Parts: sequence; structure tokens; C-alpha cells
Amino acid sequence: MPRRIPTILFLLFALAIAVWGTTISLTSETPEDREEVVFWHFWSGPDGAIVDDVVRRFNESQSNYFVRAVSMPGNNFDMKLFLAITGGDPPDLINQDDPIVADWAFRGALYSMEEIAPSEEVERLREWLLPSARSLGEYDGKLYAVCNGLDIRALYFNQDLVESALQSPAPKSLESYHQLDQIARACTKYTDGELTQIGYLPDPRRLWAWGPAFGGDFYDEATSEITTDDPRILNALEWMVSYRRELGANNVATYRQNDQSLPNKMFPLLAERYAIILDGQWRVRDIEAAQQQSRERGQQPTRYGVWPLPHDPQQNGKAGWVNGNVFLVPRHAENASGAWEFIKFWTGMDGHQSQAATTCMAGGWIPVSQQVSESPEFQQYLQDHPLFARFVEFSQTEQVPTPIIPAAARYYREVNNLVQRAMYSDEPMDLNAELVSIDKAMQDHLDRITSRPSFDEESKRHD
Amino acid sequence: MSVRSGKLHRFAPWLFISPWLLGLLGLFAYPFVASLIWSFTEYDLLTAPRYVGTDNYQRVADEILRGEGFGKALWNTFYYAAVSVPLSTILAILLAVMLNWKVRGQAVFRTLFYLPSMVPMVASSILWLWLLDPRDGMVNGVLAMFYDVPPLWFQGMQEAFSLESPFQFGSKDGLTLMSLWGVGNFMLIYLAAIGDVDQSLYQAADLEGAGIWQKFRHITLPMLSPIIFFNIILGIIQSVQAFTQIYIVSEGTGQPAESSLLISLQLFLSAFRDLEMGYASAIAWVLFVILALATWGLFRTSRNWVHYRGVRM
Repeated sequence: MPRRIPTILFLLFALAIAVWGTTISLTSETPEDREEVVFWHFWSGPDGAIVDDVVRRFNESQSNYFVRAVSMPGNNFDMKLFLAITGGDPPDLINQDDPIVADWAFRGALYSMEEIAPSEEVERLREWLLPSARSLGEYDGKLYAVCNGLDIRALYFNQDLVESALQSPAPKSLESYHQLDQIARACTKYTDGELTQIGYLPDPRRLWAWGPAFGGDFYDEATSEITTDDPRILNALEWMVSYRRELGANNVATYRQNDQSLPNKMFPLLAERYAIILDGQWRVRDIEAAQQQSRERGQQPTRYGVWPLPHDPQQNGKAGWVNGNVFLVPRHAENASGAWEFIKFWTGMDGHQSQAATTCMAGGWIPVSQQVSESPEFQQYLQDHPLFARFVEFSQTEQVPTPIIPAAARYYREVNNLVQRAMYSDEPMDLNAELVSIDKAMQDHLDRITSRPSFDEESKRHD
Repeated sequence: MSVRSGKLHRFAPWLFISPWLLGLLGLFAYPFVASLIWSFTEYDLLTAPRYVGTDNYQRVADEILRGEGFGKALWNTFYYAAVSVPLSTILAILLAVMLNWKVRGQAVFRTLFYLPSMVPMVASSILWLWLLDPRDGMVNGVLAMFYDVPPLWFQGMQEAFSLESPFQFGSKDGLTLMSLWGVGNFMLIYLAAIGDVDQSLYQAADLEGAGIWQKFRHITLPMLSPIIFFNIILGIIQSVQAFTQIYIVSEGTGQPAESSLLISLQLFLSAFRDLEMGYASAIAWVLFVILALATWGLFRTSRNWVHYRGVRM
């Protein structure tokens, strides 16, 4: 008998685990009178809690649908989705933030909103969305993705540092990139010959922002042509590289390490590594937290401001670059209509304005609709968070996305690789020739993809 | 024996091995054959594959010739393997020999040197990102004594073992350093092998008046040679398959400017970001051929330096 004790204990333990597992699955079951909507997303941590709260509020407001959110943080989201799609069991709704909308739509992996919702409602949603939000989801005349949160980049600046360097009040906005250069130069500090503070250093990944600000376009929709060889894109690149020429490639690379990923107090602007930095609205939380800490310690908090990218509309200069999170409905989703209801709830359409405002306030997210921004509770929030209010203001200007074309993900990488090579190396480069080379390679690649009929074209042929 | 029990006897072994056999067929044989077929197609994972002949292989060849895309990834992988495999082999043998010395706290030292191998790859990658930060990292804090311009590590495109930028450590050198940190697994195998060396060989050498170096050179190394051979092959395969650490330190892009784009990452990006599974399959097959050739070459050379119990194979 004593010999059997470990076996019995093991079996009891296994039984306990099994019962526990059953309980979990029972408690997360969808009510019988509701249709389940499976929603995959990658949020976790504090953002995950906010998403769970949106789902809870939606489920409470509903009698037909029940959203079951599945958090999938990590890097294999796409792979899991493709497996689910090819396996014939995709989720009903997913969240994405990569430039893949056109690629997936072209290949028939997505439903357009026109396919899953009444056309009148889709039209109203188009009207509801800000132009920048709408631009992230439109491909081939259809709405394949619905933006649920905009990411806008602008120039944060340490007001104390800038004013001390200029010996005058910081400007409200920048007239031109020359003015940015002057301020950046004034704020750059060397101690014993060693660079200790950079006024401003362009991020190699942001030619996508500076190119349009200089008036350039990466893609010509009218002719379906890649236009990396646009002279204004070259101007923007030359301007970015001028910082490398001034600071030296080694300093540029050294200062760029981990820049965008550093959290909280390590954020280079807070650490006074930079006086000016191009970053997104999510940094407002870090800045406000640092200011609050200073107040609690009885210190005068450092003042920060935000400038939009300097651009000249007369020269076709756009206000900046936009990306964001979008909702996608995978083809063959079982409950696309439930997904549509959730999309409307999240974006605030059809009387859910206040709910959408609550979501945006909880996450510090930029509303995708002007009406949500104008709701009284959100206006109050903006008064309390003036830095964030600037980003909401910018979201209503002409912000352009990475071209919504098949192969956009590769295009994005190729351009970033070129800028990194130009910024991190002192070796001379013919930037124009490099841009022309990318232009040609990407055009060939795009032509190869689109030489095959799209899913839509195939479907029409079969019909 | 009845007819029925005879049949059962015949099928019983198949029945017993069926779980493994199903796994082999489903998880190994099928993907193996499927990837070969896909390598001759244009396949985006979402729609049916379309036969394109040898287009994908021509593209691979073209990229090798131009040193772009796969060509760049191939060079990066070659550099990483060519530096990390010999260095990790030497380091693992040296550590194993030293940890075999009968000193106080031997078990503690063995544990300490093995511990890094137990740290999850994601955690160690993040740790190394901090250690090798060009500005604030501890490693550059020390190297600042020797360098006017400290190395850029994961932020640099330089290659320390090249004539263009000797001793200027870039992203691949950072990855090599990471691989050396996790050398504990190889070290453990060498440690076991050293313990297995016939002590009478050392006693005979002592009688002949051999010194430490001579014993190491003429006894330990030859006796370890089958293990070294095994570990080198394993090391080459591991360096070609390295993915997690590269994905993390290069933010999934092979940055800066593709200097840390190894073949495994290139394959992943092609298949799951650019939806070019056909091309990715061709890459996998070219890689398979390269690895097979490298292994075959090693086997050929092994006749000259691998000894099995005193017999050269």
C-alpha cells in the first residue's frame, strides 16, 4: 500500500488540475442566448485591462452578442492567424498595427466592411471617422480596416532646456525645419569634447514622416507607382543625414540605441538625453507622471511642449505621418455581424460616443472621430491634459499613412534600412541612386504581386 | 500460436511506435515534402499555390550574386557561424578543462558557469541589450579604457573580424558574445567527456615526463575529438537556426540596416511578413543543401583529426 501512495497522490493532483481547468472553461463560456464574437488582440498589461473593460461594457450593453477577447501578446500573432484562416476557424475580429491591410485584402484574407454590414451603415462609419483614421483602412475603394486608435507623432520638447538655450520663450510652432535645426544646434551640448546632450536627432524610421512633411509622396495612387525617387523625399533624407554629418555616425548610432523602447523615466526626453524628440501621444503619460513626481518631491516640474512637424502646405507639405491600431474581420469569420456591432461600439458610432470617450480617456488614446473628441467628458479630459490635447488637434490635420498597397511591410523595411545605412555610417553614399534603386526594386515587386488577379477579381470572374 | 495472435504479433510493434511514427510523418515528413513543392510555387499562405518553376531559386541565386536580401543574410549567417562556433568550442573546452581541476568549490564553479545556459533566451537578450548599450552599457564602460570610440554593438554595422573594421564590434559580434555566454551546454558535454578519458593514458604520460600542455595536446584533445566534432556540427546548425535573440535585439527587422539579418529571420520575414512562402521555402532548401554540404565537408576532414579510442576514422 505505501508504494501506491505517490501514485494516488499524483492521480489526485491530476484530477484537481482537470477540475480546475473545467471550471475555467465553464466560467468563460458565452451565455446561451448570445452569439459569441471571438476577438484576438495583442494588448496585455494595463492596456489589456482597458480592452477587457471595453469588452465588459459592450457585453453589458448587448442582448445579441457576447465578445470573448483573447489576448495574444508576442510576435507570432500573424502566424497564428494564418493557421486559423487556413484551418478554417478564424476569429471573428482581430486587432493589428502593421501596414498589412492591402496585402491581406488583396489576397482575400479579409472581409471588407461593405461585405459584412449594410452599405448605409458603412457609409456613415466612413463619415464618422477622421480622414486620417479612414485613410488607414481604405484599399481599392473599400473599407477593409477600421481604425480604433490613432498614433500621431509630433515633436516633444523640453521647454526649460529650449528656452535656456535660446534665451527667449519657446515658439508655439516651428516655421520651418531650418528653425528646428537652429534650436537643435543651440540645445546640443558637449562636455570635455564629448557629446552629452543632443538637441534633436532624426529617427531613421521616420523618413515616412519627414518625407510627406517635405511635400514628398511615397506612392502615387493615380498611376499605381512607387515614388521613392520623389525629389522631395530625397530632400527630406538629405536633411536627416545632415544631422549625421554634424554629429558623426558614431554619436548618432550611440544615441539611437533603445531610444523608442525606453520606458518611463528612461525616456530620452525625460533623461535630458535629447531636448527635442519625435514620438507619439503615449509619451504624455510618462511626462505627466514625471511632472507629478517632481511636485510630490516639492520641486518645480520641468515644462514640456509639443510642436507639429514643420511643413509648408504651399509646397504640398503634409502635417505628418499616421499609423494606428485597426480592426480587421478575417474572411470566413463565423460572426462578422457581431464583430461589426463591436466595431461600432468601440468607435462610438450610433450613440456610443460616451463609451468611446471613456475608452480613449482610460488608455490615453486618440479618438478616431471628431464627435467623440467633442463629447463633453472628453473635452474636460483634454483641459486636464493639455499636451495630449495637442495630439488630438494634430489628428485632425493632414496625416498620411504608409502607402496602403500590397508589400507595404517590405517597402517600410527597405526604406528604413536605407536611412539606417545613411545615418549610422560615415561612408559616402549616393542617396538619390539608393532611393531610385529602392523605387525600382519595390515597383518590380509590386508589379509581380499585382500581376496575379486579386481575390476580388477572381471572385468576380467566378460569379 | 493461433492465426489471430500471430497477426497481433506482427502489428504490435507498429502499434507501439505509431505515436512517434505519426509525429514523424505529420510534423517532419509532410512539411519536408510540402516545403520542397512550395519552393517551386508562388504561395502566400492564404490562396492556393501557383507553380512558377525555378523562379524562387533564380531569385535566391540573383540575390546571392548581388549581395542583397538572401545574399546579405547568407553572409551574416556565415560570419556569425564562422566566429561563434570556433570561439564557443575553444571557450567550452577551456572551461571544461579548468572546471575539471580538483579545487575547492568545484561544484559551485561548475554551477556558476552552467547557470547562464538556463536563463531564458528572451531574458538574456534583454540583459545583453543593456550590457552592450554603446553609451551606458557596462561592457563599453570597461572598453572605454582601450577605445577612443567605443564599439556600437547592436547599433553598429561593423564586423570586428573583417579587414574593413577590425576590432570594431557590431551587431553580429554582439550576438556572438551572447552565444559565448550560453556556452554552458557544450561545456557540460566536454566535462563529461573529460571525466571519461582513460586515466591510465595520463599515468603513462606522467611516467614519460609529459607536462600539462603535452597531456592536453596529445591526450585530452584527441580523446575529446569525437565530442568536438559532434559539437561543431551542432554549433553550426544552432547558429544557422538562431532566431529568438536576433528577433529581440533587432526588433524583428535585422537592424541596423540588415546587419543582423540572419537566414532564419530572413526566412520568417519572407514567409509571415511578406507572405512569400514559396520564396521562403526555396531559402530553406538552399540552406538545407548548404548545411548538408558543410556537414559532409566536416565528415571528410574528420578522418584527419577525429580519434575514436585511439583509432583515426
